[in-house]
Amino acid sequence: MVQSALSRPGQRERYDSKIGQIDWVFVTLLAMLAGIGALIQYSVGGMSWEPWAYSQLRNFALFLAMALVLAVVDLRFWLWLAYPSYAVSLILLILVELIGDTRMGAQRWLEFGPISFQPSEFMKLAIVLALARFYHERKPEDANWSFWLLVPALMIAVPSALVMHQPDLGTGMLILLTGGAVMVLAGLNWKAIAGAGLMGAISVPLAYFFVLHDYQRNRILTFLNPEGDPSGEGYHILQSKIAMGSGGLLGKGLGLGSQSQLNFLPEKHTDFIMAAVSEELGMVGGAMVLLLSGTIIIMALRMAALSHSHFGRLAASGAIATYACYVLINGAMVMGLFPVVGIPMPLVSYGGSVMLTVMAGFGLILGVKVHRYQELPKQSSMLANLME
Amino acid sequence: MPEMSIVFNDINKSQGVFTRRAFLIGGLTALGLFALGTRLAHLQIVQGGKYSTLSARNQFNFRVIPPPRGDILDRHGRVIAGNRPSFRVMIETNEVKDINSTLDQVAYILPQTVAMRRRILRDINQNKRSVPTLIAGDLSWEDFSKVSLYAADIPGVVADMDQLRAYHHGGAFSHVVGYVSKINAADMKVEGEKPDADINLLHHPSFRIGKQGIEKSHDNILRGTAGGNKMEVDAGGKVVGEDGDGSIAAMPGADVTLTLDLDIQNRALEAFGTDSGSAVMMNIHTGEIICMVSAPSFDPNLFVSGIPTKAYRLLADYERKPLLDKSVGSTFAPGSTFKMATALAILDAGINPEEQVFCRGGYQVGNRFFRCHGVHGSVNMRNAHKFSCDTYFYSMCNRAGVDRIAKFAGKLGLGHTWDGFEIDGQKRGLIPTEQWKRDYFNGTKGRANDPKWHPGETASVAIGQGYVHVSPLQLAVYASRIANGMKAVEPHLVRQIGDKVIDHTKDFADLGIPKAHLDIVRGGMWAVSNEPGGTGRTNSQLDLGPNITISGKTGTAQVIDYAKAGTRKAADWMHKDHGLFVCFGPSDAPKYACAVVVEHGVAGGRFAAPKAREIMRLAMIKDPEIQKRIVGPVSTALDTAALARGEAAGASDMPNEGQPAETPPAD
Repeated sequence: MVQSALSRPGQRERYDSKIGQIDWVFVTLLAMLAGIGALIQYSVGGMSWEPWAYSQLRNFALFLAMALVLAVVDLRFWLWLAYPSYAVSLILLILVELIGDTRMGAQRWLEFGPISFQPSEFMKLAIVLALARFYHERKPEDANWSFWLLVPALMIAVPSALVMHQPDLGTGMLILLTGGAVMVLAGLNWKAIAGAGLMGAISVPLAYFFVLHDYQRNRILTFLNPEGDPSGEGYHILQSKIAMGSGGLLGKGLGLGSQSQLNFLPEKHTDFIMAAVSEELGMVGGAMVLLLSGTIIIMALRMAALSHSHFGRLAASGAIATYACYVLINGAMVMGLFPVVGIPMPLVSYGGSVMLTVMAGFGLILGVKVHRYQELPKQSSMLANLME
Repeated sequence: MPEMSIVFNDINKSQGVFTRRAFLIGGLTALGLFALGTRLAHLQIVQGGKYSTLSARNQFNFRVIPPPRGDILDRHGRVIAGNRPSFRVMIETNEVKDINSTLDQVAYILPQTVAMRRRILRDINQNKRSVPTLIAGDLSWEDFSKVSLYAADIPGVVADMDQLRAYHHGGAFSHVVGYVSKINAADMKVEGEKPDADINLLHHPSFRIGKQGIEKSHDNILRGTAGGNKMEVDAGGKVVGEDGDGSIAAMPGADVTLTLDLDIQNRALEAFGTDSGSAVMMNIHTGEIICMVSAPSFDPNLFVSGIPTKAYRLLADYERKPLLDKSVGSTFAPGSTFKMATALAILDAGINPEEQVFCRGGYQVGNRFFRCHGVHGSVNMRNAHKFSCDTYFYSMCNRAGVDRIAKFAGKLGLGHTWDGFEIDGQKRGLIPTEQWKRDYFNGTKGRANDPKWHPGETASVAIGQGYVHVSPLQLAVYASRIANGMKAVEPHLVRQIGDKVIDHTKDFADLGIPKAHLDIVRGGMWAVSNEPGGTGRTNSQLDLGPNITISGKTGTAQVIDYAKAGTRKAADWMHKDHGLFVCFGPSDAPKYACAVVVEHGVAGGRFAAPKAREIMRLAMIKDPEIQKRIVGPVSTALDTAALARGEAAGASDMPNEGQPAETPPAD
């Protein structure tokens, strides 16, 4: 870096120097992950670009462009966007509850003319921004232990409860975990963390008996004993394990995975794509995805830590926490270590809306790095500053 | 709030907390990913083999290829039981979505399957889904070509060529060879529990299991090992391809070569005509059975595809019992054919064979007069055989005692079953002893309380009546051992399995009877068949020149007591006497022995001997060494004139009169 050039007043605000500040190694890693995903989608689509590989690559190109644009957006814009986006997402979630479209037994979708979308996807990013802004404006002591903490607690609890009620246990849990991660990173008292952990441990069995739907309970039972019902609920887990196990070290080869090609593996191109990767590319392929994901997470946390603003730090780390939850939960689910919840492997699994969410998150992370020297005011006159 | 106030303390503080916690969260995530990597390695490397197997099991189905069943051959390698092609159409239940509409399509091509619809649906329900179900078998060539043409367009319908068991010589071998039929529930249970059971083969519509005879006893050898066509299937069970390299060829079953001779076997059944009974002929040195028929017989081909109930009932209900293997599974009073055993016991008791007994038509034993069938004057042991004089044996038998008679009968193979004999169903019959009577007539189970052995009972036993019951197989062994004189030869039916020739001769025990005694008995038998006045002379002439003769013994066994059932002539078929004949030949250097029993055949000399003659004659003609010694022109055709002559003219043999045969105790 040419430090002297950057230290000239106004230099950092120029878009060409901002683009130079984008972490292109990080972008390359993202592209590699999406590339592996497209490769496998090409394979399980019957060695064909249709129906999945082509649109996956097109989506990635589109969303990557969007992420790069977001990366050069001033942090003050994100800060300004935090509360309104949270408010809009919350309203949409309530709308889903009232008038949402029911698909496959779950009420998740809103339709505006030709566009249908899941507001819960927006909430994943909005909750991160809103929490980051909240902590940005509070004193560090308040983040540790104070009555102020009721605010973030409610900010997390309300949307996650709404999403879980749809019912979308996976996304609800993701919002809860992401929010929790931001609270911990902001400096939550260890005793409070321990207490929350304890409460979680107690609430799991309670939720099992009083809150969960039958199909969700079945999934958990199946998870605990997948061999008990190999043709019903346990089928997914068993077939996934067979696919991975039979792949061996080097895999069966692209297009040669019998489990994925002959439809024994369910949701082979979406939630269970990791099993298809491991079957066709072997442990080398599976480990590659895990290694890429891990590198992305560590790099993002480092970028977050470099930020001079508390908002930037928390927003970037919150966004990467969402991604980390996706990877860990999906990985554990596919390998039979966690019950089947509808959580895909971001960038690798086929699907536009999840890719949109995580790529927006990566755009934010890249932006935090680009704007790492930017100091942000503590009060809410940013819009005025932005307009100057 | 102060404008743009930057409290460095605050910033430093929250940055410090964040950095530490980011490290922690990053570390936890890395740990989580590492755990996933470990799990990945565990699944893919450690458990890889297990899951590869499961994956292959998912991916491939094996379509069973049933193995061709081994042939059953006669001693000269001619096929007795083979396989014939049969065209059929089957439904692969696995590959069919809507069975009814598929069957509708088949019925359009083969209208005759409409009537079978219920049977087909029942079979589909009973069968495993992984094996096909037969829609129709034994199709005509026209039907088969039609089905083959259209089957390709009906998914799951397969038209192919099957191998069906075929018995080329009808009834001549039905009892020895047995037959195969479709497996039933009881067999399935037994077979399915065997450790190496191939369930898919057992359920295959082509599979047949041996139910009787050699087909049953050598089922495992004949069956072979199923192969498989490796079919690649998807999650819905639909076949997406065939893996030629992964297919396993079926291993055909081994051929089993019998000791039987096809020509002699056919000749024997022909000689019986409609008569009921059995003929067993064997090599006296090796124990190889050359001929073993049970008449009347049945067509074993009926059972291969399932015999209709009506046809089965006709066979099962016929009084001459075609389904029963009378050679091993029926026992008869041997009548006078038993006298050689009695004679050997008399000789063993130290009685001079030249000692004369005066026959005046019978003999008083205790308070009962036992009648002879004639008045023979003075007879010695040789003439007692020749004329079949009962009086001689009545008078001598109690000097030997029943236990001694039983001992010699046992040595000669009577009242015996052989574990090494290759087919099931041997009946032991009975050779009574004093001990046996004590144990049996003990007043329990509704039997008389009469444990003491009476001398009169010995008199009955001495002429092969009373409690004595033997099977035709035992009689053949008996004749063989008398002829052999050295070894306790044992009967065998299998000569060769696959390429392996089986040597049965090595483990025969020594007979342990003095040659001098046997020569006397054999001399008596020679007189029966060759001297003027011999009871079997007329029907023992082989017409093969003076060098080739047989030595035999006739027998007539009474079935009921005529005092109760009226006259002999009036008796209906079921109550007529049994005719028996045992013989060996050539007389000077014996090689073959034969036993014939004609059920309710009136008299041994008239009805049994002509049949034995046909069998022995053909055996002699076919034997290359004996053949050289034959003098004069020889006809090999069935000598119907001789058979008729025996029956019409009768012989000098008259029925014995002793105690009526009693139903032997079940052994």
